[in-house]
Amino acid sequence: MGLLNPRHLFYLASLAVLIAIYLRARAKPTLEVSSLMLFDEIAAPVASSRVLRTDLLFWLEMAALSALSMALAGLYVRRAAPAVHYQTRALVFDLGAAMGAREGRGTRLDQARRQALAIISAAAPGDSFSVIGYALEATVYRAPTSHLAAVRRAVNELKPEALPARAAALRAALMRARGAAEIEVFADRAPARGWLSAAGAGARVRLHQVGAPAANLAIVALEPGTVGATPGRMVVRNFSDRPQLCELALDLDARSVLRTTIVLEPRGQEVLPFGPLKRGGVVHARIVTPDALDADNNRWALAPNDKPDRVLVISPSPEARDDLARVALAVNQSLIVTAVDPVKFDLASAPRYRLAVLDDAYDPGIKAAARLIIYPPPWLEHSTPPPSWQLPVVGTVRMAEMQARADGEQLSQPLVLSPARILALPQWIDVLAYGTGVGSGGSFPLAGFGYDARGAMGVIAFSVNDHMLLDPDKLEALVLTVEMVKRLLAPQDLRIVPTGSSVSVPATGVAKIVAPDGSASAARADEMGRVRVRPLEAGRYEISSAGATAVIYANYYDAGESDLSAAPPAPAPSAPATPAAALAVAAAAARVKPIAPWLIAFALGAMLLEAALLTRTAMRWRARDV
Amino acid sequence: MLEARAFEPGFLRRLDGLVLGVQRARTVREGRRALGRVHGLGIEPESFKEYTEGDDLRFLDWNAFARLDDLTIRTFRAEREIEVTILVDASASMGLPRGDDKLGMALGLAAALAYVAMASNDAVRLGAFTAGRGGTVRVETTPLHRRRELYPAFRPFVSALRCGGDTRMAEAVGRLLLERRRAGTVILISDFLISAGEYEQTLRLLLGARHEVKVIHVLGDRESTGAYPPGHYRVRDSETGELCEVTFGASAAEVCRRRVEKLSADLAAFCATRGIVYARAFGASHFDDIVMREFPRLGVVR
Repeated sequence: MGLLNPRHLFYLASLAVLIAIYLRARAKPTLEVSSLMLFDEIAAPVASSRVLRTDLLFWLEMAALSALSMALAGLYVRRAAPAVHYQTRALVFDLGAAMGAREGRGTRLDQARRQALAIISAAAPGDSFSVIGYALEATVYRAPTSHLAAVRRAVNELKPEALPARAAALRAALMRARGAAEIEVFADRAPARGWLSAAGAGARVRLHQVGAPAANLAIVALEPGTVGATPGRMVVRNFSDRPQLCELALDLDARSVLRTTIVLEPRGQEVLPFGPLKRGGVVHARIVTPDALDADNNRWALAPNDKPDRVLVISPSPEARDDLARVALAVNQSLIVTAVDPVKFDLASAPRYRLAVLDDAYDPGIKAAARLIIYPPPWLEHSTPPPSWQLPVVGTVRMAEMQARADGEQLSQPLVLSPARILALPQWIDVLAYGTGVGSGGSFPLAGFGYDARGAMGVIAFSVNDHMLLDPDKLEALVLTVEMVKRLLAPQDLRIVPTGSSVSVPATGVAKIVAPDGSASAARADEMGRVRVRPLEAGRYEISSAGATAVIYANYYDAGESDLSAAPPAPAPSAPATPAAALAVAAAAARVKPIAPWLIAFALGAMLLEAALLTRTAMRWRARDV
Repeated sequence: MLEARAFEPGFLRRLDGLVLGVQRARTVREGRRALGRVHGLGIEPESFKEYTEGDDLRFLDWNAFARLDDLTIRTFRAEREIEVTILVDASASMGLPRGDDKLGMALGLAAALAYVAMASNDAVRLGAFTAGRGGTVRVETTPLHRRRELYPAFRPFVSALRCGGDTRMAEAVGRLLLERRRAGTVILISDFLISAGEYEQTLRLLLGARHEVKVIHVLGDRESTGAYPPGHYRVRDSETGELCEVTFGASAAEVCRRRVEKLSADLAAFCATRGIVYARAFGASHFDDIVMREFPRLGVVR
């Protein structure tokens, strides 16, 4: 029993007022009568002191006021939690890369799995479980069910992902588990402060921390350098508090280029140069020395081939042609760049290009493996329908502002650009940057990238005239253009991406996807002829459809997740650390039940009884006297 | 106040059919109309008798003597009047309980009876007795009025009368009798919240002076039923100032009712043995019923 609002006990002072009123009322007022003859049989002599005697109405009012005051003060009782036969419980697993760290004969996830299976085995009949995992985001692997075999199967099928476990994903997982009476969280490190708030106040949350400090080595970065020109380098890091022997291997298209062993100082980082490579290809760096975590022991990079590909730059502006040619050569010095005025371009004699850059110019039907459309002009020839590759132009703004970078990050302040076209991009083009017109509220795409049957296409909606790409104040525009050219020049059937990113691969019909661990799955291409793949494991993905094969290499590295020494020894299943969690546990063990409604009902009953007594008295002694 | 009720034209019209109930004539006055057993001067023939020496020859029936040669004397009913004194107790007890308006009721009854008495052209006066601060008894009376046209002359007296002081009824009546007027009718209106010896002495004095006495016992509604607001009170006697503590409630009310009944019964018994008309007038709310029904039933009026 306790009070939720002890301050409101102040209302008990009203009892003093009532007592004062009562004492004043019982001070026996003097009543003048015609003669005492009529009362000589009932009268008593005047007493100097009286025994405290109270009437029923007084006690009823006292009770009503006391009940109301206690109701305002929030009087509650603690009651034992009722026995629930069908309790819902949630098993929340950290599926970050660190959960895949080896310990003994298994991984940290195996430890968590064993604990979870023990909980499932000890569950009361009728208990239902849900299985939720989180890393980059939260995923419900099994909705609440009392079919324990299915729950065990879902737990056994959990796999660590080559991704960092984000705090936001944990909160999302706890929110999805909110309906459960008990939430069991299995993680290799203590979550951030305040994480329990997402679970709600009514749930009992238990953290099962697994894993012990372990030594880990990781390849932080891999730069292939320029073929035949500049050396490449790889960066290796030791997350252990002890010096570690690290044997490294470097392959180029499965041919060994380098194999060396270095000693990394405690928590040290080493830059290992190699090359320059004699030819381009897929560079694969790996740590041969066994350590706790495999996901960060491999890294792939693409060494651009020194093949002299042809690039066509068409623009009516000589300055823009010159700038765009410089950008192309900066990406790959081996390129043969042809910059021409669109009026002078002869389509008939043009060869097939690796990349065609069209600035403020119509595409006359250039044969190219990839296109970069910059500031496309509107189709003005109303007499003939526009060709299929003509992008529909909705309008033009005199000045545009870029709000976000190509990687989606918000700019600190908008980048003011030159005039831009408002384009209605087809669905197969992914928007990379949005912008707004100066002074206008609506946003429109500024850059996009996608694949269709003719190949890759990049779109930049703003104009690059007046040497805008060389303006140091507008570096973001240059970065966006360089990234676009790099993506367009990259082989379409070979992609090297970080884990967790979404990759669109051209495909036809049903595509077969083979993951790094050898498991295969199928995905149907969408109406734009592409399959979206999101690599969650580090390694090589192979997507094949209709005789064509594309390869995706997924790299993983996260400084926080790879640091396995930071995890403390796993304690016994711990109670929630925060006061809120403790309160939640206490509330679950003994539930607080406010009794204000009962008190108010009691007060109303007392008042009704008093009213009835007064009415009875009034009827008996005339209403005016009551 | 209830005394104003006695001067309302509508109420007075209802009293026009009533006359004061008088058992015997006490006063004789020439030229005034009154019914009595005493033969005397008058205009209403009563009978004939043989002439005897000494009879007034003015009443000799000369027509009979001429036809019958007998001397016959015509006799007449004497025309007599009754002097009615209506005496109201104006002590402090008549003012309580305040909501009961006992004094107003007593004055209203007194005025109504005066109006009824004036229907017979009887000489009527109102009087009130009280005790002053120094303990001196004061008896105030109006002049005698006979004709109904003068009935409103009672109104200033009725309106100005205030209650106060002790109930010293016997002393007041003794002072009234010192006027040595002819015996008539005395109507005594009081709450009789005095000792039995006091009111018995009072009534004996009146009867000793050969007055026809009528007693109107007035009590208030609350007083007669004991319906005081429940609770604990100090109770003070309005005349003596004596205090006591009383817890009012249902049982106390019952005791009060029994006490009032006993007081009324004792007074009625005393009156009955002395041939005094006794009438209860309990409750101002029953004023009209008391005047129009109870008084005729008890013989106060006819």
